Order: sequence, then C-alpha cells, then structure tokens
Amino acid sequence: MAYLVAFHWGWLAGAFAIGLAMGWVAVVHRAPGVSRLLTWLMAALAVGLVAAAVACWIPGRAGYWLELLLILFVPYLVGCGIGTWLRAMVVMRSMRQRSAS
Amino acid sequence: MRGLLRWSGKWWPGVIPLIVLWGFAAWTSTVPLENDLASRSSAALRGSVLDRTSITVDGRDVSLRADAFSEAGRRDAVAAVDAVAGVRLVNDQTRLVPEAKPFVWSAERDVVRVTLGGNAPLPALKGRLVEATRAALPGVEVADQMGLARGAPSRFEDAALLLIGQTGKLKDGKFTISDGDVTLTGMARELGGREAIAAALGKLPDGFKVASNEVKAPPYIFQAYKDPVAVTVTLSGNVPDENIHAVVVGSSSRKFFNEKVVDNLKNSVGAPVNFVNAVVPALGALSRLSTGTLVVSDRDIKISGDALYDAAAAQIRTGLAKDVPQGWQVKADITVKPAAAPVDPTVCQQLFSDVLGKAKIRFETGRSDLDRDSTGLLDRLVEIAFRCPAATVDIIGHTDADGDAAANQVLSQKRAQAVADYLVRAGLPADRFTPIGYGSTQPIASNDTGEGRAQNRRIEFLVR
Repeated sequence: MAYLVAFHWGWLAGAFAIGLAMGWVAVVHRAPGVSRLLTWLMAALAVGLVAAAVACWIPGRAGYWLELLLILFVPYLVGCGIGTWLRAMVVMRSMRQRSAS
Repeated sequence: MRGLLRWSGKWWPGVIPLIVLWGFAAWTSTVPLENDLASRSSAALRGSVLDRTSITVDGRDVSLRADAFSEAGRRDAVAAVDAVAGVRLVNDQTRLVPEAKPFVWSAERDVVRVTLGGNAPLPALKGRLVEATRAALPGVEVADQMGLARGAPSRFEDAALLLIGQTGKLKDGKFTISDGDVTLTGMARELGGREAIAAALGKLPDGFKVASNEVKAPPYIFQAYKDPVAVTVTLSGNVPDENIHAVVVGSSSRKFFNEKVVDNLKNSVGAPVNFVNAVVPALGALSRLSTGTLVVSDRDIKISGDALYDAAAAQIRTGLAKDVPQGWQVKADITVKPAAAPVDPTVCQQLFSDVLGKAKIRFETGRSDLDRDSTGLLDRLVEIAFRCPAATVDIIGHTDADGDAAANQVLSQKRAQAVADYLVRAGLPADRFTPIGYGSTQPIASNDTGEGRAQNRRIEFLVR
C-alpha cells in the first residue's frame, strides 16, 4: 500500500482535488440524491470490489487496475467529505448572518 | 454528520472525472510500475545462486522462472522477490537444477583449444574453472561447453583444478571425472610429461581415484646423421641419463674416427629398455656408411644410406638385426656407393697411410678379435683396396714390449691375419694380402710410457 501511495501520489492528489471540488459543489447542488436502493447496490459493489482486491482474485494488470481504482476512491471520498464540510460551514455562517440581520 | 450523509448522496457526479483520471493513471503508470518492480526484483535476487533466471511482471504480479541449486536456495529466491515492496503475488516457476548421476566433467585438449565439458555444480565454479584453464594455458582457446547439474562429489573443485593444471602437459587427450573416478587418455606433450602427470595425480583429494591412466608418452627419438661434406656426425634427440650420454658420445667418437661428433643430445626419461645396447650397434652400422641417417623411435631402428661396397651393405642389412636386443625392430634401407675410380698402387699406399694415420685398428685387449669400433675404419681400408686391384699388400701387425716376445709375435701375426680375413670377407682376393707379425721388434715409440706402448700396438699396410 505504501508503495502504491508513493508511486501514485500525483494521481491521488488529483483524485483528492476532484473530491474536494465535488464536495464543495454537492452542498448547493440541486440534483436529486441517489436512491436508497442504488446506494445499497453501490455499497455492495464496493465491498465486492474491495474483497476481490484484498483476496487477489483478479490476476495481472486487471488486478492492478482494480487496486488503482479503489485507491483513487479513497482520496476522492476524503476530498468530498472535506469539501462538503467546508462548504456547509460557509453556508451555515452566511445563513446565520442573514437571519441575524 | 447527518448533513454529511445527506450531501454524500450528491457526490456521484464526481465519479465521472475520477473514472477518467483512473483511465489516464492506468494508461500511463502500468508499464513504468512493471519495469520498476522487475528491476527491484532482479536486484533482490543478486545474491542468490540461480541459473537461467527470468523475471516477468504482469501488473504487480511477478513470475519468477529460475533453476536453483538447492531447495533452500530456491525457497530463499522466491521469498526475496516476495519481499520486494509493491509485489503483490509471486508466481513461482522455479525448479531445482537436475541432478547428474554419474556427475561427469571433462577437459579435452586438441591442437588449438581446450574444451571443458560435462557439468559444473555452480555457475561461479564454472567461471573459475574456465579462468583457471585460461591461466594454465595462456594463448590457447578455451571452449566452455559445461552445463550445470547437482550431484558433484565433495572437493570436486580441487580435483578439477588439479587436472586443469595438468592439461598443459598434454599434446592432445582428455581428462574426465565421473563421480570419484578420474580417467585420462591422450598423448603427453614432452618426454617425462606422462610421468609428471602420474605424479600429480597422487595429490588428488580424498574420495577421488585414478580409474585409468592411458596417457601415452611421445616416441623416444634418437637420431644420428653422418654428413660427408661437413665431415660431421650429428647426434640429436634423447638419451636416458648422463652416463649413457657419455657412453653414446664416447662410442661415436671411436667409431667415427674421421668425423667430428656434434652432440645435440638431451637427457630425458622414458627411454625403452636396452636403449644403449640397441643404439651403440646401430651407430656402428652408421659408421660403415659413407653418408647415412639413423633414426631410433621407441624400439624401431631405421637406418638408411650408402655402404662403401656390396658385402658391407649385406652385412649391415642382416647383421644389425642380430646385434640389437630382442624386441627391437630394424629397418635397413642401404644402397651401395658407386665405386671410386681405380688408382695405382702408390696412391693406394698413400690412401692407406692417410686413413691409418687418423685412427688405429683396435682389437680386444690381449686378443686378436677385431674391436667393433674399428669396423668403419676397416671398411675404409677395404674401399681403398678395391681401388687398386693389381696391388698386393703386406698387413703387418706390431705389439708393445709388454709380456713374452714370442707370444707378442704370435699375437701380432694373428691380429694381422684377422685384418686380412676381414678384407677377404669383404670380397677381396686372399692372395693379395700377406699377414705378417713382427711382435715388439719394430717399435716406433718408447715402450716405457703408456702412450708410447699404445703407438707401438698397430697394424700397417704396405703396398708392394
């Protein structure tokens, strides 16, 4: 894992940036959210992929590409979380200022 | 936190650029990552003893193909690659080098090269054997045809290096180690080489033994060439030791009374038995030729040249074979020198005196038997006698003053008769020769000294 992080830090930083931007936008985004069923399906797919990667079920380059995909998701999700949190803070502050005035 | 969960439902659009990013990352990083893992896996195996190592990387999975020389070495190699950071799986395709039974190694020498064949137990040792061969035989091509196999006997390296050290003594041949058995065939480069190799084999490590040693010695050559133009006899080739060297040179000096003996002989071991008993009679035969060559190769004697007259040629052809020890072969290729032009008796006398002035006819001490060393001299006298067929010759024997005068007279008479008999056997008419014995009555020097007595013991030819 440490090797993958060290080897791909540039791509991981990119994924984090995409996540940060997405999280920032998500707070004010008017698009519909993902349905509960789809969320479960996505979660099940994610668990399956992680299990396949950990158990090394997929050999060769395909296995490596799966690992790369999963490892890119980590900074993306972290970025989303941070972006959303920051934007939520900004939105909450502006709403408090507006209600105070 | 609840808000975060709620808003996370809107994070999915970002997955689209993330997938694009992933595609770029996979596109650009796969080959560099594989190359990086391959180079670091190779580095991890640098200390391992392996043959035919091949590393292929697919993603983060490494396929290791190699021949190992022990089970522990094989496991260690796989573990070393497995421990390389970034490697996910090791596809173990290693195997043990096959075990050779029997374990055979060989060094074969021919004219231009040494070929190392069979098996070596380890790659490093294989290299050391090649280097040792190059060092032992500078300038000789070394062909490495060795494979690798397990199952070498202990101390194999010491035994192989010892044999490599001996290849320089071979002209051609092959040394083989088969398990603990050492087999040697071929021809030694020089006389004594076979013995030197046999002596070196005594230092073989424990567990090795000489199964067969068929190394042959080169032919033991002795040569003599009688050159009538340079008036020399050149001796070359080998003699067994200093004593026999002295015997051969001394005998040659007596037999070749007219020629200078050029001694190019060297002392070498490996002479056939009865060497001196064969070479001395052969030199006697050569001394009877006007020009000729004697070649002794092991136990084969080959003599060729021109005899001075017909009977001498016949005597050499049949006589030499009887004179040499049993087991020796003689091949005599003798022709007869064309007869010289006849001369008148006065010239004949001068020729007799010239020849007898250079050497004396010798006899056995106190007896009338002709010494074999004088045969060449007698043949010269026969040749001269043939040139003046009209002349009659007194053959006069003299002795020194030692002993009884009557006995000396009888001895001198018998000695003169023996010389006359030799001339008659050569084909000259008996009535041309009159043997006379004067005993000690006509000394030409003092009988008080050994040198004077030696001068007084003589045979004279007087043409009438």
